[in-house]
Amino acid sequence: MKKRARSEADEIIDRADASLLEIIDHVLNKGVMLQGEVILGVAGVDLVYLRLNALLCASDRLLPRREGK
Amino acid sequence: MIGLYAIARGAPQEATGARGERVRILTRGNLEAVCGDPPPQLSADALRAHEAAVRRIADAAQACLPARFGSCAADEASLSAALAAREAELTEALALVRGREQMTLRVHGTIAGSPSAAGPGTRYLEARRRSRTLPELEPLRSALSGLIRAERVERHTEPGLLASVYHLIDRGGAQAYRQAVESTPLEGLRVTLSGPWPAWSFAPELAP
Repeated sequence: MKKRARSEADEIIDRADASLLEIIDHVLNKGVMLQGEVILGVAGVDLVYLRLNALLCASDRLLPRREGK
Repeated sequence: MIGLYAIARGAPQEATGARGERVRILTRGNLEAVCGDPPPQLSADALRAHEAAVRRIADAAQACLPARFGSCAADEASLSAALAAREAELTEALALVRGREQMTLRVHGTIAGSPSAAGPGTRYLEARRRSRTLPELEPLRSALSGLIRAERVERHTEPGLLASVYHLIDRGGAQAYRQAVESTPLEGLRVTLSGPWPAWSFAPELAP
């Protein structure tokens, strides 16, 4: 089970484009949360959390740059 | 098990959930919990589907506090109890987001240390204050002053990504917001923008 969760998290991270990255941050880290243990109980969520911030750091390279900078 | 998409006011009766199901609205006092099927296994597609469902609900509701992916309750009674316990807080948050949507800024760069003759303690406190308020964003704040209704700043510790800044704006203001951001140069900082989003960052956590 643990192994499966990891591969799901890895798959999400590996496939992450800029817009998915933004969705992950909003949908997993923000918003109303009813039961803390339940959200962590959804397999792989915690693993995605762990690596999300590092990816957001790189998001300036993923997101389209503004013209004329 | 009940999945939760949002706490809302004036929620649409006909909305479709993340898995194509018809959402149900559980009313408790003046709060409406928009419910659907239990949360699915985590996947990129499931995250996208949840976001899209919340967006459909938010677009049609008067006010919407999005629920995180995976939010659920055992049954209607426990959901109702969770809402009752936080009714005042949720009602206040709904009033704030009513008729509004969110823009998200990622701020990249480093904050220059301010030269100061003060002692290490004062310098530390000053650095902390600056990191919380990000005075470097002031030019942007004045350019956006007519558009911003509320602001949340979240500092990050990773090198490169300085902070995430979440702004609540009136619905329909996204284009004006984007133009203001794009035409405001910031010294030493680079900003990337996404939105409009449902008001993800202005929803209180219900977990104890």
